[in-house]
Amino acid sequence: QDYTFKLHHFLSAQAPAHTQMLEPWARQVEENSGGQVKIEIFPNMTLGGRPPELVQQVRDGVVDIVWTLNGYTPGQFPRSEVFELPGVYVNDPVASNLAMRELYDSDLAEDFKGMEVMFLHVHAGQAIHMAEKEVRSPADLEGSKMRIPTRTGAWVIEALGASPVAMPVPELPQALSKGVVDGAFIPWEIIPPLKIFEQTKYQIEGANEERFGTSVFQVSMNQGKWDNLPEDVQQAFRDASDEEWLVEMGEVWRGADDFGINMAVENGNEHIVLTDEETAAFRDALAPVHDRWVEDVTGSGVDGAALIEKAIATTQEHATK
Amino acid sequence: MNPVPATTGGAGLCSLARRAITGWALLGGVLLLAVVLVNVWTVIGGMIGFPFAGDFELSEIGVAVAAFMFLPYCQVQGENVTADVFTSNASPRWLYIFTAIGGALAFVFGCLLIWRMYFGMLDQKAYNLTSAILQFPVWVAFIPILISIAFLILAALVTLVESVSGAKNAS
Amino acid sequence: MPVDPIALGLIGLAVLIALIVIRVPIAYAMILVGAGGTALINGPQIFLSQLKTLAYGQFSIYDLSVVPMFVLMGALATKTGLSRDLFRAANAWFGWMRGGTAMAAISACAGFGAVCGSSLATASTMGKVALPELERYKYSPALATGSVAAGGVLGILIPPSVVLIIYAVIVEANIVTMFMAAFLPGILAVILFLLTIAVYVRLFPGSGPAHGAGSRAEFIDATKGVIPVLVVFGIVIGGIYAGLYNPTPAAAIGVFVVWLFGTVRGQLSLNDIKGSILETAGTTGMIYLILLGAELLKIFMSRAGVPQAAAEWVATSGYAPMTVMVILLIALILLGCLMDSLSMILLVVPFFWPVLVEVNGGIYQGAEGAGFGMSTDELKIWFGILALIVVELGLITPPVGMNVFVISALSPNTSMAQTFKGVMPFFLAELLRVGLLLAFPVVVLWLPRILQ
Ligand code: NA
Ligand code: NA
Repeated sequence: QDYTFKLHHFLSAQAPAHTQMLEPWARQVEENSGGQVKIEIFPNMTLGGRPPELVQQVRDGVVDIVWTLNGYTPGQFPRSEVFELPGVYVNDPVASNLAMRELYDSDLAEDFKGMEVMFLHVHAGQAIHMAEKEVRSPADLEGSKMRIPTRTGAWVIEALGASPVAMPVPELPQALSKGVVDGAFIPWEIIPPLKIFEQTKYQIEGANEERFGTSVFQVSMNQGKWDNLPEDVQQAFRDASDEEWLVEMGEVWRGADDFGINMAVENGNEHIVLTDEETAAFRDALAPVHDRWVEDVTGSGVDGAALIEKAIATTQEHATK
Repeated sequence: MNPVPATTGGAGLCSLARRAITGWALLGGVLLLAVVLVNVWTVIGGMIGFPFAGDFELSEIGVAVAAFMFLPYCQVQGENVTADVFTSNASPRWLYIFTAIGGALAFVFGCLLIWRMYFGMLDQKAYNLTSAILQFPVWVAFIPILISIAFLILAALVTLVESVSGAKNAS
Repeated sequence: MPVDPIALGLIGLAVLIALIVIRVPIAYAMILVGAGGTALINGPQIFLSQLKTLAYGQFSIYDLSVVPMFVLMGALATKTGLSRDLFRAANAWFGWMRGGTAMAAISACAGFGAVCGSSLATASTMGKVALPELERYKYSPALATGSVAAGGVLGILIPPSVVLIIYAVIVEANIVTMFMAAFLPGILAVILFLLTIAVYVRLFPGSGPAHGAGSRAEFIDATKGVIPVLVVFGIVIGGIYAGLYNPTPAAAIGVFVVWLFGTVRGQLSLNDIKGSILETAGTTGMIYLILLGAELLKIFMSRAGVPQAAAEWVATSGYAPMTVMVILLIALILLGCLMDSLSMILLVVPFFWPVLVEVNGGIYQGAEGAGFGMSTDELKIWFGILALIVVELGLITPPVGMNVFVISALSPNTSMAQTFKGVMPFFLAELLRVGLLLAFPVVVLWLPRILQ
């Protein structure tokens, strides 16, 4: 092996993101390179630091590759953040993955100075988990305390009239069962590892699996490391991260999500799928989130309004459903 | 925890430095008390229907800054845990020498830390890092932190000066 | 260059110990070995880059923000005289028995442990209160100092507990669950300690003479002294158990309530508050610096490949799960001769925990078919309590027994050797307790199960 890479991330080695995404991807790169490349994966922040430091680590070359949640460093990835917004992300992770690839060079690359992005992806979308309260309209959420994932998640929750609460994910089950929060705003995929069905009664999403935004993740390499790779090794990484892979990842994350909701239903939870009218009521309530985002990123020199339009159009072009 | 008396009188400059460091730690304590009040308010506010979303971030940032503000005091008081077993029969002179070694390490580390964390602050600023809900700019928190590390370097110098002079006098 | 990871790790450990032996503060020894080791393997740039934000990242972990608050709460409780009231009450209850005043010291330690998160603070506080009384009633120096030094460990076994919070952060356990799990084992410790004293005074008559009971009025008056601690414990830990708030707000409320209580009683002057803050500053600074050192050491060990190699070694060794557990606990007891409990938890748990997960069958392993016969979630709780107990043993074992040092300093007429001798029976009681908890994990797991 001529080239070794340390890939650092924040989840455990048993998490689907590790077993179904990072492992297969790393092995594919190795295979593509004809054995020139070796990628060692370090889960659980074993190479030190806290999750928000991952981006810094890859920029500085402390590690070679990271997988991280962009939202850990709020404000740092304003452009790609557009794909987290409700209405931009609707229900189709494959479409979002492909749209981010298509717009990368023209609109998103600015965000990622000092690192070479291998691929960006999203999860299957934020949905609502409620401990006790059945939610069918934004009014039902009013005054509830909801655990939020990212700053765009916080804006969504505020637009719905609830209050956002940040807390480490391991504390969520306890917080739910004791009423510290009334619900959580995360995808279904969190249900199995935390056994969220034990503390919640309702899982709520829009018609046709419509969600209220998503989170963007990245797999990125240190720029210097990348620039010094011979073309054939670079190609090995590119080939492992091509469109086909993005489609597959969209399906993997959708699959993890389906697995989660099925587990909740099997354990007696109610899976509420909003009707078209109910979904529309949520959509209306969430309209101000776009304005808020546009206002925020304008400060970073981004033409937010144009980017939202472009992101929606491109995502719809790739829609698979 | 430290068998070597923390205050050896020392030069006037040393005792002045000690007083400044103690004052800085007390200021850190005031910050900690502010975090305490924010948390008390969060609970009471939550119970009477005024939940406050930022307590989580304010606790994180506030306690982090306070902890940095405590480091110099911790150094100057010799509160960093040492294993005293093998040296419990050592002469005072040797104890002073060991303390000096610890002080020298703290000095070197403090210098490294202030240099690196200054660039850390520039990074936070350049990349516009903020907290998630209140959008508090993180680099601002680095200002009192850098001052704290400057005090830590000063504290290490105090330890060094005092223990070296102690070692000379103890023979 | 390929270096045998185990060899590198062992060299690192040897250097660490050498530095600790020449009295380099443990935190700086960790920093030096961690930074130096990383630089040797991957060059200095890695460490220098990481240093930009590593300290801030470690210091701003939300779950740790509870630590200085609990430290402050304990310091304020000391200045408010809660420890003295507790001891007076306990002595009114037990003092008339043979060995009763020593039992009172143990009980008061347990009571104070309910408002204080640190073992050392509990030992020194109760030492100041109880030692003069034990001396007055002509208790043997060994029993007097031994019971207070041993009683100190109750400070950390009964929630709140700083070391347990750190453990929870490392293994990503729920702090509340850990607090629940510690409760019954803590009570068990109190019972075993009381029995130990009862047996001791029968084996060594005259070591703990009985003295007359006070009047009924005195008894009632003394008993009232328990009320403030009950109130604080009820509000803080009770509130956490009931789920009214998270640990951090709970600790904040605890600080507030103790302050309120001290102020109303007129026992908390501005100077006392200043002193409490400075005490908190010293302890917090010490804890956070060790945190940083442990993180740097972890980076070095991970880059050397030590944890991976260790997990693989255990997985292929074919040892039974219980054997692995006992080996780990013995390793902790031995390390306890050298290091303080916090450093040990931070140094060792990041390496031991993945090994146990491996042996149990993975992070999502359920109870069925698990190596330890319990789900990995429950193993996390059980191991945490066992580890907590054995690292606390280090506080009372020679040669470095922090509690013994503190108590010896408070009792100049008693030699360190006498105190260590006096602590021995309690050490045996602790070993018995570890054995009981190993055999009956349900003692640990019962409360979390029913309260969840
Ligand atoms: Na305690
Ligand atoms: Na020890």
